[in-house]
Amino acid sequence: MSGIDNLEWEKLLTEFSKNIDRSIKKLEERDIDNIPGAKQALIERLKVMRDYFPQNNGDLFIKSINEKIQNAFFPKTKDLAEAFERIIKSRSHDQDFIINELINGFISSRSKTIALNVQGTVIDRLVEAFSKGPDFQIVDHQFYAMFSDPNKARKYVKESLQDLVDLFGLEAKELIVEKDKRKSERKVYTFYTFPEKILEILEGEYVYTDEVLGEKMVSEKFDKTVFISLFLANISVHRDDLKKIGGVYTVNGICNIFSLIFLISLMPKLDVDETNPILKDPSYDSNRMSVIPKSWMMKEVLLDLLEPLIKIVAYRLGGGEWLKAIDTTEVRRKIHNQTRFILKDINRWILGELCRVEIDIFVSIGSIFAEVIVDTSIED
Amino acid sequence: MVREKWTDIFARYLTYLSHLVPILKETKRTVQNMSLEVMMDIKIFDKIKMDEEKRLVKRVRALSEFSAYYRGKVFENIKNFIYKYSEDLEPIDIKDYLIEFFDECISALQILINITNPDQKKLNSTYLYLLYKYLEDLLLPIGKNFEEIYMKLNKTSVNWYECQRYMMIPHTYYRETVDNPDFFEIPGISPKLYQIINNITSLYNLDPNYYPCPEDSNIEIPVILINDVFEAFIDNIAHEEQEAIEKICERLGLRVLDEIFLAPKYDFIDVLIKNDFIRENKQSDGKIRLIPQFSNETLILSYLAFVSLRRGFLSKELINWISMTFAFIIFSTILKCQLSDHNIFYPIFTSLKTQEKVIPYMMKLLCFNNYLKLDRMKIRDSVQYRKEIFNFAGSSIDCIKELILDLSEYLNKIRKKNKEGV
Repeated sequence: MSGIDNLEWEKLLTEFSKNIDRSIKKLEERDIDNIPGAKQALIERLKVMRDYFPQNNGDLFIKSINEKIQNAFFPKTKDLAEAFERIIKSRSHDQDFIINELINGFISSRSKTIALNVQGTVIDRLVEAFSKGPDFQIVDHQFYAMFSDPNKARKYVKESLQDLVDLFGLEAKELIVEKDKRKSERKVYTFYTFPEKILEILEGEYVYTDEVLGEKMVSEKFDKTVFISLFLANISVHRDDLKKIGGVYTVNGICNIFSLIFLISLMPKLDVDETNPILKDPSYDSNRMSVIPKSWMMKEVLLDLLEPLIKIVAYRLGGGEWLKAIDTTEVRRKIHNQTRFILKDINRWILGELCRVEIDIFVSIGSIFAEVIVDTSIED
Repeated sequence: MVREKWTDIFARYLTYLSHLVPILKETKRTVQNMSLEVMMDIKIFDKIKMDEEKRLVKRVRALSEFSAYYRGKVFENIKNFIYKYSEDLEPIDIKDYLIEFFDECISALQILINITNPDQKKLNSTYLYLLYKYLEDLLLPIGKNFEEIYMKLNKTSVNWYECQRYMMIPHTYYRETVDNPDFFEIPGISPKLYQIINNITSLYNLDPNYYPCPEDSNIEIPVILINDVFEAFIDNIAHEEQEAIEKICERLGLRVLDEIFLAPKYDFIDVLIKNDFIRENKQSDGKIRLIPQFSNETLILSYLAFVSLRRGFLSKELINWISMTFAFIIFSTILKCQLSDHNIFYPIFTSLKTQEKVIPYMMKLLCFNNYLKLDRMKIRDSVQYRKEIFNFAGSSIDCIKELILDLSEYLNKIRKKNKEGV
């Protein structure tokens, strides 16, 4: 780390400590939890975070963001195929939900975000299109049929297609027909498929070549994971070129989501009273869910925590370029505010309690933190 | 436009299906009668296909095109199968497999053809009715009032909430307007509205204010600020929803108080208490404060119950989406139940070309009074629209896959029972 970089990093760590203090103060003033001891558990946890994370030049941050988030979601490499291979090997079903949220984009920036107005189901649709299309590719007409909005001009649909192609790093191939059957006119068909090197990785497990037809077909295993991995690999490789990854909105979206994931991972687990109705609710699974303190979701507490953390995540994942892209206007507070309400399909509200579902990424980040605390307490 | 009768639609539904069975039966017989040596020379199939196509049969163009497509695919798949396994399998085994595949397809088609009957005789024992009823209980139950429907939904939501939610979010949501001049029309939930509902749920759980209940001064009801719900939306992108908040509230079981608060409707409070989504807390001043404890599904199920109760007032998009979901699940269930996963003809049934010939008519049949009770006049016939929604018909959605599996087990039970009865 150069001198300037080090200064920047220290500044972020100091800001983190300061803001956490502010959150603790606000938390002490109010209590919205109805579980005895919840507020105290949260205050204790925040104090531990404040004391341990900035230690040793933010070693714990570097370890958890670099090892857990970067390695699994945004591997540091310039080779698309290598990034793709590393991501696809570390994917799990639960984690796909997180990325789905990411693709869906922030509602506030929806009109300007990565996949225009076709987010939401875009990946599911692409999976269907590639599964049904011939030779593992989709033709532009098929895309228009699936994604076009009749209320918008074709120009926008074309732009939207190009956005998706860029977003997933797909490759275009052209087929020129001198005389088409209907009008005897020259026609250019554009096919979209995966880059050659990615196809090599997919071959066998996700895609196979039919010996008779000589065409590529998808296997049972081919699903949205493939697109999610390609999307992440594309971001990883082009992280220095914001234009190629959807601009500041993508950066803000990624950093918001991962800082929220980071915080969720570190929240203390609460033991609820055995008479608590949540335990009787059939959708509550005590083996893989835990109640997290409600006061953590208070606007006053969470916004102070998120702000420096979003910058830390941006700095660790994309360096100074990403840090600069983090929105620092008044809009930011609104965007941060809505960060509270994302990932709701992962952290479910059950009878008024926010429940964390123990998916891999939460467990692994939480365990790094737990290890260090245990190690330190043994040394003490 | 003339309102089509059951018999008209059922006849159309059968048109394409009834052409498939003879093709399969004929081809099966041809394969059966072939010697093994002849069969292994795959060129013979091209010749048979050519001969078949030369036969002069008077049909409308669309039908003959479809038959040609179907026959072509059947022969293509047979050739591929023989070519692929000619080294690994004995010719006799290949032949057996082919015949087994034909039998499975014919039996699936028989169920599809006999799914119901032109005069709806013995309605309670028809496949369409039984499968529909099973789905109805899980996804869109009927009931005398809102409360009864909500209770039924809440009971099944433990296992099927994702399917229930899926059915409320049409993929053509961009065609809908939340603020339709027709107050009674109920649109589907757009992804943006889904986020708004999430916001409302979170705010009720986190930061409720309390307000004297207008209907009962002894009760304090939870309220949240409308501004808080929309605060996060920059650039006025939720302006339309904000303007239509009263209509949205109506569908969620909420109401606007003093133009700034969102509060549960008086009738809805009882339902919420019965489902533990609100608990009563007696205060020192003798008043009862109602404390919200919502789950993710609390308001979504309310929307769904409202849709189910007022199914006569649904938007065109929602009618198409709901009936398509039901029809798609029933169609896929019959295939799943009858065809083995490695059946070489499976892709022909799941291809867009086949689906668009069967599902739209099944959608219309399902709109009749004994079924969904939706306005079948609103089912779109446009090819473009069918492509748009069928291209995305739920096959890759995990919860729909699970539901198809569940329903196919039920179908197996019905078939077993029918056989025992015979």
